[in-house]
Amino acid sequence: MTRYVLSRILRSLLTVIIVFVTVFMLLRLMPLTGYFPQEMLKEADEATRISYLRNQGLLDHPFVQLGRFVKNLFQGDLGRSLTVYPKVPISTLLQEKIPVTAAFGFSSLVLGIVLGVSLGLLMVRYKDRWGDRLGTLYIVTVRAVPNLIYLFFIQVWVSKWLNLPLVYYKDRPESWILPTICLALGSIAYYALWLRRFMVDEENRDYVKFAQVKGLPKKVVLRRHVFKNAVIPLVIYLPSDLLFIISGSLVIESLYAIPGTGGLLTNAIKSQDNPLVQVIVLMYAVLSVIGVFLGDMLVAFVDPRIKLTEGE
Amino acid sequence: MKRTLALVLTLLLTLSTAAIQPALASDVQSAAEEILASKEYLNVYKTSFSSSYPSFNYYSTAYATVRSIVANCIDGLVEPDIYGVYVPSIAESWETNEDKTVWTFKIREGVNWVDHEGNDTGLPVTAEDFVDGIRYIADPQNGAYSLRVVRDLVVGLYDYYWALDDIDNPDVETDLVREEVVASFDETVGVKALDEYTVQYTLTSSAPYFLSLIESSMLLLPVEYDYAMELGEDFAVDNEHMLYCGAYYISHFERDKAITLTKNPLYWDLENVTVDTVEYQMIPEGTTSLEMFRRGELDYTSVEAEEYLSMAGTEWEDNLIPSERSLSTNYLWLDFQGENPEFNTFIQNENFRKALQYSLNREAIATLRDPVNPTRILRNTINAEDAIYDSNGVDYTDYEPLKTVKETDYNNPELARQYMEAAVAELCEEDGTIRGIEAGTVDYLPVGTFEVDGKLPVTIIYVGTDDESEIIMAQLMKAMVEEAIGTDLVDFQIAAFSGWTYGTVADPLNYDIYFDSLSTGYADPSGLLTRMTTDGVENVGRYTVPEFDALVEKALSAATFEERLQYFAEAEAYLCEGAYLIPFISSLRGYYMTNSMPFTSPLTLYGNSKYKGTLVMEEALTYEEYLTLEAAYDIARAEALQEQ
Repeated sequence: MTRYVLSRILRSLLTVIIVFVTVFMLLRLMPLTGYFPQEMLKEADEATRISYLRNQGLLDHPFVQLGRFVKNLFQGDLGRSLTVYPKVPISTLLQEKIPVTAAFGFSSLVLGIVLGVSLGLLMVRYKDRWGDRLGTLYIVTVRAVPNLIYLFFIQVWVSKWLNLPLVYYKDRPESWILPTICLALGSIAYYALWLRRFMVDEENRDYVKFAQVKGLPKKVVLRRHVFKNAVIPLVIYLPSDLLFIISGSLVIESLYAIPGTGGLLTNAIKSQDNPLVQVIVLMYAVLSVIGVFLGDMLVAFVDPRIKLTEGE
Repeated sequence: MKRTLALVLTLLLTLSTAAIQPALASDVQSAAEEILASKEYLNVYKTSFSSSYPSFNYYSTAYATVRSIVANCIDGLVEPDIYGVYVPSIAESWETNEDKTVWTFKIREGVNWVDHEGNDTGLPVTAEDFVDGIRYIADPQNGAYSLRVVRDLVVGLYDYYWALDDIDNPDVETDLVREEVVASFDETVGVKALDEYTVQYTLTSSAPYFLSLIESSMLLLPVEYDYAMELGEDFAVDNEHMLYCGAYYISHFERDKAITLTKNPLYWDLENVTVDTVEYQMIPEGTTSLEMFRRGELDYTSVEAEEYLSMAGTEWEDNLIPSERSLSTNYLWLDFQGENPEFNTFIQNENFRKALQYSLNREAIATLRDPVNPTRILRNTINAEDAIYDSNGVDYTDYEPLKTVKETDYNNPELARQYMEAAVAELCEEDGTIRGIEAGTVDYLPVGTFEVDGKLPVTIIYVGTDDESEIIMAQLMKAMVEEAIGTDLVDFQIAAFSGWTYGTVADPLNYDIYFDSLSTGYADPSGLLTRMTTDGVENVGRYTVPEFDALVEKALSAATFEERLQYFAEAEAYLCEGAYLIPFISSLRGYYMTNSMPFTSPLTLYGNSKYKGTLVMEEALTYEEYLTLEAAYDIARAEALQEQ
């Protein structure tokens, strides 16, 4: 087991390094004009632009820039944003934004799992009846209708009906309700859909039929046997889902004016904010490999059939 | 509390309107006064912003949103009053020499910098702070933004900047030593503290517009240099890392969420600061801010054209007020050095350019921005009207021959066809083959590649962004050009590009026609026109027009301001009439709703709006009220400009 863990850590580290260096180098292939806001690009002559780029260290050789970044990283300095939030320390940005996004992400994940699993169970229990049909309608609606349509509806009309604020305020808890629900809508559908599908699959297996023939009530079979086995494929993604609660939602954070991380990476890439892109990519790469690793561990824990090493 | 405040404000307003009473027609005046007196006023103004505040460093920001905050927190030497006439701000008085190359300002004594809690730092605002502002931007390492105008205007600043840059550049061999160059600043650069409260700017050329440049440019604001230097890169990254000398300080800053401005208790003009608190919220979605205004959670919202139509017939219809002015002009760049051989051959021909110019129905395009009154958006000139005046109060765009350009109706499809036929006769063989070119592939990558056959119809590649409204505008233009000129002679193709259009489309000339905008930055045509000469940084189309260049040169060396404007008017008209680029509408768009009383805050034509003097009402202003107040204001402003 220890050997397996060490091996996975080494491979994960290698993956992170490859991803990070690739992204770092690709960023250096972007056109130099992209570092300037449009107005600045139009206003400044060539010499002024070059002067600006040199003073930002952007004309140094990519390996020099990489070395500088890594050295600073080991000293705990993530650098400063270049174009999106000029000169603002990236650590400050992340400290400000991650807690907000994580709070919403965690709440919506919990809500999504609780309601999604409940809905999935309900759909299996009442398969091909009204409960199942209503659940299917919800899933199809959420997944097929462009989300802006129902998100706008919820924001404008539901907030009016329930007398809730239109946007998020840090000091008004009632303003957290709608964005949390909006964030959870997708995961409710996801968990319900897949749980139903896996449970229906399990239901057709011989051991289930055998349990039913033995006289076990359907409720008990579903809870004790079917659910336990059906949930395994979903469990594998749980660590990643948990870790990525910090990634935020571009649309919902924009709609409810939540000052989180949603859209941060997109903006950073669009504005060629290299230091910010590098840090976010590094962060997400690390979280990804940890998420996958923990997922594997978790699935081995919940499913005794799965062995991580040959010796076990 | 509200009643008391209202009384005080009404009194203030009465005092301010007293000066204009003689000039007002009595019925207009009394109607306006009645409106003013009938309102209850609040001391909090709630507004929104739509995109991030990256940092508050006013010397190195390209963001309009930051500028609007800074304009209320850092006072410059002068500021405009409600009529746009420059009045003392940090400078109590000023004088200039005859040719307007030396400007001397007497700084107000007793103004101190305050921190983000409104505490007195004990540091006075002195002449040295204005000198230090220039010192800060003069160092390339500080990354000042939009430096060109000031760098070229202040004596010695250009050489100082590039001397430091040479030292910092490892590819340049120089004997200069950084410390020595820095130490020479006070001797070599034309900004000096003559004494503790007198600052003098010596300029490289006559600048009768210098006061408007002070209003528009962040680079002429003061800084507490030791404080800024001590903070280094942290200077102004948030509200806690900067000092304030304006009407407000930033008391609360939540990045990408909320900003609160609180009245500066030590402000030198405290009695004219009518709003105690300005609360900003970041609302990225326009529809959200509109709904928040309806619910009373905001005091201002913009209303786009499509929203305007949806609000017709609702309770808010009477509150929709047309946006007043925009100094920014939308125009089409025509690529004179592009790779499309068909377009490149034709664009050199004046008849072809005029065919394009006369084929656009500008009013129809403007309808996309304002479906009710599109004519207010039309603009044929590069510089905006009502932005630059001579000493007699004559609008620059009323100087001939620019006035003719301004008033010409360029919507003439028949004439467009005639011009095109003339161009075809000059450039094509009988069988429609374009002389001197061959069929081939036009490489406008990353936009795309296009096949051309070297024959009529002329392939025109319009490159715009993938913004929905821009695509609609491009489609409209295509329909207009092809209908006016005829698809037998032109093939107008649209390429929508997603991403960084200026850097990847305009700058490397990956287009035939490109849509862009430019704004009149201060009260002189040179702000735009000197950038549009053959070698100018703004000559995106890469045309060569020596006649235009010569007229600009003449303008810059003119003896009087009127003569200068005359030459500039001739230069601008030459460029527009020759259709080297095609201005067609202003950037003005849509409507707004507001709870603030119009015409109570400074008329900041070139800078950003200030809240000083703003009166905030409990209810939304109606358009009818607005028109009454506007009538009274226009009379008063005309008089104020004449007295200037």
